[in-house]
Amino acid sequence: MLKNFELKINGNLYKVKAYENEPLLWVIRERLRLTGTKFGCGIGVCGACSLLVEGKVQRSCVFPAKEAVGKSIITIEGLPPNHPLKRAWIEVQTPQCGYCQPGQIMEAYALLLENPKPTREEVVKRLSYHICRCGTYNRILKAVERAVGGFRS
Amino acid sequence: MITRRDLLKLGGFTLSVVLTPKGYSLLKAQEINKRHSPTLWINLSKDNFLTILVNKSEMGQGVYTGLAMLPAEELDFPWERVKVKPAPASWAYVDPKMGIQLTGGSTSVRNMYEILRLAGASMREMLLSSASKSLRIPRERLRTHMGYIIAEDKRYPYGDFAPLAMKEPVPPKPKLKEPKEFIYIGKSVPRVDVPEKVEGKALFGIDHFVDGMVYAVVERPPYFGSVPVKVDSSKAKGLPEVVDVFPISTGVAICGESLWACQKARERLRIEWSDNPVKGWEDKDFEDYFMKKLKEGGKVVKVKGSPQRVFEESHVKIEEIYIQPYLYHATMEPMNCLAWVKEDEVIIYAPTQSQTWAMETAKRITGMRENNIRIITPYLGGGFGRRANVEFVAEALEISKRLKKPVKLIYTREDDIKSGYFRPYSITQIKASADKEGRLNSLSFRIAVQPLMGGGASVEGIVNTPYIIPNLYVERVDIDLPVKVWFWRSVGSTHNAFSLETAIDRVAYQSKQDPGELRLKLLRENPVAYRVVESAMEKAGWGKGKNLGIAYHYSFGSHVCNIVEAYIEDKKIKVKRVISVIDIGPLVVHPDLVRSQVEGAIVMGLSMVLKEGVSFGKDGIKNTNLHEYGLLRMEETPEIEVYILTSKREMGGVGEPGLPPTAPALANALLWGYGIKINRLPIGV
Repeated sequence: MLKNFELKINGNLYKVKAYENEPLLWVIRERLRLTGTKFGCGIGVCGACSLLVEGKVQRSCVFPAKEAVGKSIITIEGLPPNHPLKRAWIEVQTPQCGYCQPGQIMEAYALLLENPKPTREEVVKRLSYHICRCGTYNRILKAVERAVGGFRS
Repeated sequence: MITRRDLLKLGGFTLSVVLTPKGYSLLKAQEINKRHSPTLWINLSKDNFLTILVNKSEMGQGVYTGLAMLPAEELDFPWERVKVKPAPASWAYVDPKMGIQLTGGSTSVRNMYEILRLAGASMREMLLSSASKSLRIPRERLRTHMGYIIAEDKRYPYGDFAPLAMKEPVPPKPKLKEPKEFIYIGKSVPRVDVPEKVEGKALFGIDHFVDGMVYAVVERPPYFGSVPVKVDSSKAKGLPEVVDVFPISTGVAICGESLWACQKARERLRIEWSDNPVKGWEDKDFEDYFMKKLKEGGKVVKVKGSPQRVFEESHVKIEEIYIQPYLYHATMEPMNCLAWVKEDEVIIYAPTQSQTWAMETAKRITGMRENNIRIITPYLGGGFGRRANVEFVAEALEISKRLKKPVKLIYTREDDIKSGYFRPYSITQIKASADKEGRLNSLSFRIAVQPLMGGGASVEGIVNTPYIIPNLYVERVDIDLPVKVWFWRSVGSTHNAFSLETAIDRVAYQSKQDPGELRLKLLRENPVAYRVVESAMEKAGWGKGKNLGIAYHYSFGSHVCNIVEAYIEDKKIKVKRVISVIDIGPLVVHPDLVRSQVEGAIVMGLSMVLKEGVSFGKDGIKNTNLHEYGLLRMEETPEIEVYILTSKREMGGVGEPGLPPTAPALANALLWGYGIKINRLPIGV
């Protein structure tokens, strides 16, 4: 039941052996040790494990690794440090414990790829799929607003 | 144990804080011997970097930043050259005021403030003395500026004098800065942990690896207190990468070379669990049991005046029963631990709030001494009290000891909920009365709850309320059930502030008084509390047509008044805005950390009142994962404004006090705006 996979993550090719139906999350963070992608719930409701597959945000805890083969995967590590989202996140001093933040940033990143100048409501709607137990929601929103240079009204 | 050699290995200039029978004193690394217990180290390297070992866990509250600021302040040192490292678990790093290594009770800055400033100030004086000798310039003509010794027109980095400074005697009473000289205290310096958290590079407990390690998950009983009586693992053991399956003290451990292999094996297990006293108990059974116990009565904790007689004779009377559920901490990073029990050494990566309890656990399970046990504290993906419990460390150790291999134990979210250690369930009865002028003249409080901290938590916030209540009766009924309970951010005040603060509003409602004005009357002898309530009313625009609810609570040394603006729109509760005023005592070390803690506490308080509750059905806990345990989301989060006040008194805490007055303020807004009385939580949305 173990299979060989080839995954393209942040532009690099990784060869890895995993269970045939193993979620992408466990392959990436435990087998390949790219730990920026976090485990939160395992059922796709908290958003901590969010990453991009072919430019679309996915919950990697419920996304089978085999479906990502041959596709481009981007994780938090693949976002350049000077990306406006990362910069804004730091300027606003957004994180507290920080565990959910990579998922939040990846969701925001995916949203901005589709919609570079979103309205406040559009951002709130998308990021409401994510849980932050420390309660940094207002700062997350402020960071996105800063990164896009103000919401569309 | 930390040896003198370890200290010297750091090189440069290392100062330790030691606790002696006379109080704190500071020692240089060379002076440390077995009789001393250094509680922290500050190291200045030759290349002018300051490394501070922090004995508190960073779980989001910003403690690495808040504590590191203090020696950097006194030392006059550039913030960008300050590094923070977690202190290892050791007797050497206990919080001098607690006597253990524990991050909890909103105490970190309060307990470490003085000594950390003293350490920085001593270091500065020693650097100045050594610079004076080496430069042959009188000490009075030298000064310091941002990591440099300034001598007339020349400047020298501190690091140049680090080895020499070690030869200077530690000044017994270094002069501390006057507030007007502060460069950091009172300013929001950038958090040291934020950049790596944004990069995805911060390492939490779950992000650690050791070569040759195996993964483990633990299948837990459906009801607390059951143990496995029969385990059939025949279908699980043949799967690829599965290493072993065996019972441990809390359930059945499933071990494999990957986390996923453990999960697959778990699906194929058959386990029979032993019976236990709450098997099959549903929510209603808990309620009936607590109600019965409440009626039977318990221990009288406090009596003042004649509460019963005054209640009978009063004009305005209320009598309420409150039912508040077990609450789950829901740290975003589930419990996990990497433990490696070797022949002669134990290594543990534990995201814990209590290094001391983790150490005690490791000693108990492995039989080894502290010298041979190394506990590393990574970042904690949320704590909220849950991680002061170290059962997850015990489990990882137990499994590693048996397998003789490094073990990375991960709780799945389902395991994390099932492991318990909830905020206790409670039923509270409150009777209160007011005289003709509307003054609260009696309060009788009786609570049935599983006790924490020997029962002190059951009545906290009530026995020490700053309200003037001439006739007071407090009773607690200790419940003994196998459901595991524990500290949950703000502990007993989570439930007691809700019952007391809503009861106050019911008195105001019945006697047609303004609830804000009533609180001001009740706090007239406590100027700090009075000002907190008064300022919150002013900031919120009290009495100006908005639908507001107010609550005030004193906990963990701080006074907080929260005012919630809420409406019911399309049959849904819409919380629009929360105003919070906190008085934390004499000074604010880092205003933005205070604000972010209060913001977070308010979100958690709203989450709790609107959505949270562990629920039991015939087969155990009904909330199997986060889709069945509601937590507040961004779309439900109101605007939050936090105002910080200071007052001349003892320093107060910050992490918890913002939470207790949140839930009752919302409930009170619903009472005044819509006549809705909330006596059972969560409200539901």
